[in-house]
Amino acid sequence: MGNVSTIFRREFAAYFNSPIAYIFIIVFIVLNCGLFMTPFFLQGNADMRDFFGNLPLFLIFFIPAVTMRLWAEDKRNGTFELLMTLPMTGQQVMLGKYLAAMAFYVVALLGTLPIPIMLAMLGNPDLGAVFGGYLGALLLGGLYMAVGIFASGLLRDQISAFILGMLACFLLFLLGIPAVTATIDGWLGGLGAFLQDTLGLMSHYQALQRGVLQLGDLAYFLGLTAVFLTLNALWLEGRKF
Amino acid sequence: MIEVRGVTKRFGPTTALDDVSFRLEQGEILGFLGPNGAGKSTAMKIITTFLAPDAGSVTVDGIDVAERPLDVRGRIGYLPENNPLYVDMLVREYLDFVGRARGLGGARLKQRLDWVVDACGLGSVYGKAIHELSKGYKQRTGLAQALIHDPDVLILDEPTSGLDPLQIIGIRDLIQGLADEKTIIFSTHILQEVAPVTDRVVIINGGRIIADGRIGELERRAMGSNRLYVGVRAAADEAEAALSAVDGVESVSLADGTDGAARFEVRAPFGTDVRSALSGAVRARGWELLELHESPYSLEATFIALTRQARDAREVVHG
Repeated sequence: MGNVSTIFRREFAAYFNSPIAYIFIIVFIVLNCGLFMTPFFLQGNADMRDFFGNLPLFLIFFIPAVTMRLWAEDKRNGTFELLMTLPMTGQQVMLGKYLAAMAFYVVALLGTLPIPIMLAMLGNPDLGAVFGGYLGALLLGGLYMAVGIFASGLLRDQISAFILGMLACFLLFLLGIPAVTATIDGWLGGLGAFLQDTLGLMSHYQALQRGVLQLGDLAYFLGLTAVFLTLNALWLEGRKF
Repeated sequence: MIEVRGVTKRFGPTTALDDVSFRLEQGEILGFLGPNGAGKSTAMKIITTFLAPDAGSVTVDGIDVAERPLDVRGRIGYLPENNPLYVDMLVREYLDFVGRARGLGGARLKQRLDWVVDACGLGSVYGKAIHELSKGYKQRTGLAQALIHDPDVLILDEPTSGLDPLQIIGIRDLIQGLADEKTIIFSTHILQEVAPVTDRVVIINGGRIIADGRIGELERRAMGSNRLYVGVRAAADEAEAALSAVDGVESVSLADGTDGAARFEVRAPFGTDVRSALSGAVRARGWELLELHESPYSLEATFIALTRQARDAREVVHG
């Protein structure tokens, strides 16, 4: 655990060593709140449905931008060789990096807390849905983050890692859209429905957004996150040969 | 102690290392020589567990790198060819990070930080961001990183590349100062750098070891005979005849001659000293002796001769 926390602290500080972190967080908060507040004043509903509804698409851009540097930068700098010859396992290094990126995302997410506070002052929002929405945002971000760190490991170049991560996240997003899976079903009966059940994220995310906590949805996010982190760990081992 | 046995490593169709074996005792310094692309870095990456060999094995202090890589990593201080610095950090933060990642903490970490800052001369830049440092200070920071945990074994890949002569001497002195307690491998493609630090060298070329031993022994093997220079104030042809007649002299050739004085390159078998016989022959004829000295071969010449021998040997084997 000490090893993970050493890596975590270095990686978390690295985000804030450059102004990019502050720009990222400000863009995250301004865009999200801006996208949310426009319809909010038109509808006059004290809920955050639109806010969380925007996230799956918005995070496709935001999360890969956070994760793109995680391995690609080290490979470019030569520090990858330092990390892989420290007396700790590759998994520990990876976990430290992953948790640092997650912590960065949590900081950005905390910046949106004025919205539920404002809602609570203005009206009577469904706190279960707000809580479920934030939990969904965390799990969704965690999954995208695992996809992103895996993509970053495959490439030396941060921009390529960003684009690959974005495409992979977008694919998970698309597979959860009924119109897309219906088209796939048209090509090969049953395949679209199968992909939507196993990989598509929207149905799982929407359940959380409504404030419904189901084991299956949690298992989907945590399971798929674990799959991508495992792939990353396997890549770390396989790279030696 | 480092033992490399029959290590082979391929990257796709190219063979980076081909059946490489050598051994290094505790407290020994090894100069790892070879042209760029010879396989030096690959061998070092395998010893430090960064890469796994396709065949063969490596042990460090008796521990197999494939079986217990973490134990091996804990014993090794490693400076890769690309200096692994986090340029966004301060020198202090960076060394603190590597120290903690290497399992140090508390008073021990503080003591080691003080030691490496002093040993590597980083006092004046300790609070500076690494991207502000000159190349020399960056290299010293990289070296400090490799020394922070007081490792038994040091693996330094081209530690002096890109430095100016004074900085090279600084790094060399530092390596020599560590020599007593540590086992050190350092690689370079600049041959002159080796001799002041150590006389044990391994020469690698095209992924194969072409020589392993003391610099003196290798010269013998490569060149076959000792080389002396003799300057005489006499006619060149007379002098050449007189010197050739001396017992133990293999060959005499005119190096350069001016009016009334000549300078010869004299070859004699290794292990014999023909200097007094030569000076005796000159004095017996009443000539004036202008110079007489043994001239060691440059490491370059040795290296080139050994490379050629290795290539010829391979051609013989492969017909």
